[in-house]
Amino acid sequence: MADASKPEFTTILASDCSFKGEMTFEGTMKVDGKFEGKITTKGKLGVGKGAHLCAEAIVGQASIEGAFKGNVVASERIELAASASVMADLRAPKLVVAEGATFVGNVHVSPDALKGVEKSEFVVPIPATPLKK
Amino acid sequence: MGRTPDKRQIFCTRCDTPLEVSCNARSTLCPGCHQNVRTEDEELNTYCARREFFTEGTVTVGKKGVLIAEVRVQTLIVQGEVKGSVRARHSIHVTKTGRVFGDIRTPVFVMESGAQLIGKCEFGPGLAPRAVDPCAARA
Repeated sequence: MADASKPEFTTILASDCSFKGEMTFEGTMKVDGKFEGKITTKGKLGVGKGAHLCAEAIVGQASIEGAFKGNVVASERIELAASASVMADLRAPKLVVAEGATFVGNVHVSPDALKGVEKSEFVVPIPATPLKK
Repeated sequence: MGRTPDKRQIFCTRCDTPLEVSCNARSTLCPGCHQNVRTEDEELNTYCARREFFTEGTVTVGKKGVLIAEVRVQTLIVQGEVKGSVRARHSIHVTKTGRVFGDIRTPVFVMESGAQLIGKCEFGPGLAPRAVDPCAARA
């Protein structure tokens, strides 16, 4: 059970927000508004029910409840909720689709789904430089 | 007095003509395309390779089942492997052990975590079957 004191998403792009551009984040983010551009993260991307995304997303996990157009490459899993409406190409080792979801596109879901994807597409964490004394 | 058996509506797997058949029927003849339409449910637990696998029933591909064919069914439950394009009039359910390699088209699609799928997919309520005028289908 989810811990009530700890929110599931650390960053939220609210329903009255509209974002165009490239976004990178570390933790978890939920988009409830409009987004157009590129999303890169090792964390989790949530797409709310009323959200509209037109994006190329390279993520760790993606949970889609709203409208999504573009490409999604997930290193862990993608979840499509019953309210999801997706026109995209999906690539992930795991995919969960709930009854009622709408989807049009190409799907590549297998344990070796990311073999063809260049590693440079994923965010490589910059090693911390040791402090000089 | 004899009781008339319950009827159900199906669609021809080839020309989409709506047909009304008895619930007990195993097959019928389509007046639109004059082809035989199978209506029985099937469970596959072996290797099965065919050019086409058409039935207006529920097909379950068991854990040990491998189905290689162009598949047109009413409902498909995949626990094993399916290779080929799949069109289900009602729904497709891919369980965690299921593997589907091919294009799919269905109004309702459910996929469990761990299942494999490679292909072009179209699913959503908008793909639900539409009633076709049998006279138009015959023309």
